[in-house]
Amino acid sequence: MARPHDALACEEALDLLEPYLDGDLPAGEMDRVRRHLEACPACAAELALAARIQRELRALPQPDCPPEVIERVRRAGRGEVVPFPVRERVPRRRIAAAAALVALAIGGGSLFVHIQHVQQQQEQVAQATREARLAMAYFGKVTRKAGLDVRDEVLEKRLVAPVARSVSRSLGNTDGAEPRKEL
Amino acid sequence: MSVKPLVLTIVLLCLAIPGRAQKPESQPGYVPIEELGLFPRDKLEVEINLDGPVLHMVSAMTRKDDPGFSAVMDGLKSIQVQVFPVKGTDTAALKTRIDRAVHWLEGHGWKSTVRVREQGQETYIYLKQTGDQIEGLTLLSLDPKDEAVVINIVGRIDPAELGRLGQSLHVPQLKNVPEGKKKPE
Repeated sequence: MARPHDALACEEALDLLEPYLDGDLPAGEMDRVRRHLEACPACAAELALAARIQRELRALPQPDCPPEVIERVRRAGRGEVVPFPVRERVPRRRIAAAAALVALAIGGGSLFVHIQHVQQQQEQVAQATREARLAMAYFGKVTRKAGLDVRDEVLEKRLVAPVARSVSRSLGNTDGAEPRKEL
Repeated sequence: MSVKPLVLTIVLLCLAIPGRAQKPESQPGYVPIEELGLFPRDKLEVEINLDGPVLHMVSAMTRKDDPGFSAVMDGLKSIQVQVFPVKGTDTAALKTRIDRAVHWLEGHGWKSTVRVREQGQETYIYLKQTGDQIEGLTLLSLDPKDEAVVINIVGRIDPAELGRLGQSLHVPQLKNVPEGKKKPE
């Protein structure tokens, strides 16, 4: 069957799918592509696939650029604003490749960021552990220097005893040894 | 992924629960050491500030290798330590500031538990209690020949465990703490 002189061939229609999806074509072209799609189930299926990929790409999370990175770029002194390149018509075959690349970049990027984050957290916890041990060591050092054995003397006579006494006081018993070693 | 990062991730998620993220300042056993202005911060030899979420992570990470240490850390909500080298400074002024801190503690419901003066060294231990529960421990010490130390520990404190832990750890071995020893400005 002969096609009308303004009808599109499948290859032409497929190249126009993305701008058609975005509504970037002039009205006449939009109309030609629409008529082709109505008559061509194969191209219509391609359109449906392209539309789905576009939807899924748009639904992907947008990773935020950390403010420190932005600040460092600013400080690099270039200061120039680089506009995004004007979108060119991309042949449909590139859509899937681009989608795969974007998915890989986002997936790989988030995995990398996640691993880095976990490593950073581990280092911070290890550092905090060293600090906590050092804090306890200072507690031990000071009490040792003061001649206090917190495990025995202080614990029994000064730390635990007052607590026990406060409980017994609340029960009406005021008996108890003076825990303080006054200056 | 190995088990450790996974455990850490789970711990971090658990810590996101608001109850766990309670500010140490809101705890009854917390002492605002910085506000007391005991020692000049830029001259501190050691400054440690660890809050509850960090201590829970420390506890989780050391549970297997050092259960005793982990158990003590698990109950704590904050640890603050400041160590100031006394050599070459006006110890009288330092003593005045420590006395001021002692008055502050006594005015805020802290009970003096230990006061020791031996060979010029003075050591004070104060406890903050709610009923029979110790919720805070503050130690102030001035050794004119060595250093002045203030330690504030907040949380569920078991003095016996704390004492045992303190006796088992020694500063010289731990003092070479790499990066992050001091709180970032």
